[in-house]
Amino acid sequence: MPDMRFAPPNPLRIADRASGLNAVSVRGYNERLVLSLLLQSKHITRLEIGERTGLSAQTVSVIVRSLEQEGLIAKGEAQRGRVGPPTVPLSLNPGGAYSVGISVGHRQVEVVLVDFIGSIRSHAVLPFSAAAQDTNHPQFMSAIAKAIADLPQHLHSRIAGIGLALPGDEVELELTPRAARERFDALQEEVEREIGYPVYVQNDITAAAGGESMFGVAKHLSDYLFFYLGARLHSRLVLNHQIYNTTGAVSFDVGILRLEQEITKQGRQTSELWERGADWPSFGEAEIAWQRELAGQMKSSIAALKQFVPITSVVLSSYAPQAVCKAICRELEQAMPGISAIAGNIERSPKAVGAAGLPFSSRFMVE
Amino acid sequence: MRSVLCYGDSNTHGQVPGGTPLDRYGPAERWPGVMARELGVGWHIIEEGLSGRTTVRDDPIEGAHKNGRTYLRPCLQSHAVLDLVIIMLGTNDLKVRFNQPASEVAMAMGCLVYDIKELKPGPGGSVPEIMIVSPPPMLDDIKEWRSIFAGAPEKSRRLALEFEIIADSLEVHFFDAGSVVTCDPLDGFHINGQAHASLGRALAREVEAIGWPDER
Repeated sequence: MPDMRFAPPNPLRIADRASGLNAVSVRGYNERLVLSLLLQSKHITRLEIGERTGLSAQTVSVIVRSLEQEGLIAKGEAQRGRVGPPTVPLSLNPGGAYSVGISVGHRQVEVVLVDFIGSIRSHAVLPFSAAAQDTNHPQFMSAIAKAIADLPQHLHSRIAGIGLALPGDEVELELTPRAARERFDALQEEVEREIGYPVYVQNDITAAAGGESMFGVAKHLSDYLFFYLGARLHSRLVLNHQIYNTTGAVSFDVGILRLEQEITKQGRQTSELWERGADWPSFGEAEIAWQRELAGQMKSSIAALKQFVPITSVVLSSYAPQAVCKAICRELEQAMPGISAIAGNIERSPKAVGAAGLPFSSRFMVE
Repeated sequence: MRSVLCYGDSNTHGQVPGGTPLDRYGPAERWPGVMARELGVGWHIIEEGLSGRTTVRDDPIEGAHKNGRTYLRPCLQSHAVLDLVIIMLGTNDLKVRFNQPASEVAMAMGCLVYDIKELKPGPGGSVPEIMIVSPPPMLDDIKEWRSIFAGAPEKSRRLALEFEIIADSLEVHFFDAGSVVTCDPLDGFHINGQAHASLGRALAREVEAIGWPDER
């Protein structure tokens, strides 16, 4: 019997010397484990990776070296402590991977291109006009192509894929232009065929929660109740970093649509409400009353949940200005002592940015 | 105190480029000495560099004692307990008398790794950390050595990749010395004092980066 120790070497992971991302198939479990830790923490040392994964220093060394060669992670400056050898922090290389995220709302479609740490490199909003009943297809595809073209050609091989966040809420689907549902169902295949990158699909609220978990304020939270403030108020429960995606989750009519109705009653302009990245003017009494109603609904959701799960953290994510979310969080914290309410920090397009996180989690992280 | 064994050939011995094995840089100038200074207190650095040492081959001309494999066992046992073994070998295996491609030299490096893993000279009978270092590629002009090393410079440029493949498959640390130093033009395959200093510093950073839990 041959001595298998001296069979041809079978490298654990020799990074492809060509630039660009390695094939999906070669990314082993341990490597995903290491990348997951890096996605969860800003800086981490090889020693900490070993301690948290149970992998040997030598295995960590091999994985880290190949990830470095692939350009996915970068070494920081050595930190000299008072005792022991200096430590070298590792972090994700922002330019190591890119991803396109698309969210389809009832009024507009958003397309973002984000880097490996979730910074938006390109952002576009398309009106989802009810007039274009059949399709807004060419416009939609060209917006995706444009987002990709915004990235220099030599980095295109670093695009991990396209994430698509689709609404699942029955009431919001009713608001979309006619036959939208059927169009959504066909989108994945169409985008994959025409743009040529793998497409990953998820419910839009779950995607937004994933975005805050991966890139935003919820990075270090393992258990929390996630609220998304859109046209309506949505929620998801996150336990042990796992987002529970219930079909038929209930949404509440205390969202921005509700505020719009109140403001319209006063005969005021409301277009700012639906803009991305714009500050809201003060809407006075109507806004204060709405905030109170919204916080009240959040409070009763939390109270109901607390009977089963000891939840203490709440994240409120929205495309609405962060100042508005912060005010709502303050309102909620006052009404519920012991609850820590945090406004999400993915501004402009939490759903689209969350969608862009899907190719990353699917290609680089453990389940 | 952590012990590190530096196991190598003339470039670990500190042989001066263009000189003989008896022309040697001083202890503080050789890369193990530089690395010791860089790592500071708490580290015990052991030098084991022999001019002409191969990975696993008895040298029919220079002698059987140049075989890095047969000497490794007594060497490990002499210096145990070891926390880390750094091996930088491979250049001498490229002598025309051995007629070996770079990939076979890498396989031989793998043998040494297996031997260390088998012997377990680490703390409490464990496998110590092992770091394979690929030597800097030879220069094209190797002066009067061109017949002994016929064809070697070309092969030496492939050692880094072949060693890295072996290091990956055996899950040990790897460093490419060619990424920080080049050989001296005086003979084309020895490193000079400046290169010893750079290599010692770079390896100290690599050793630190391994990540060492606090000693009990």
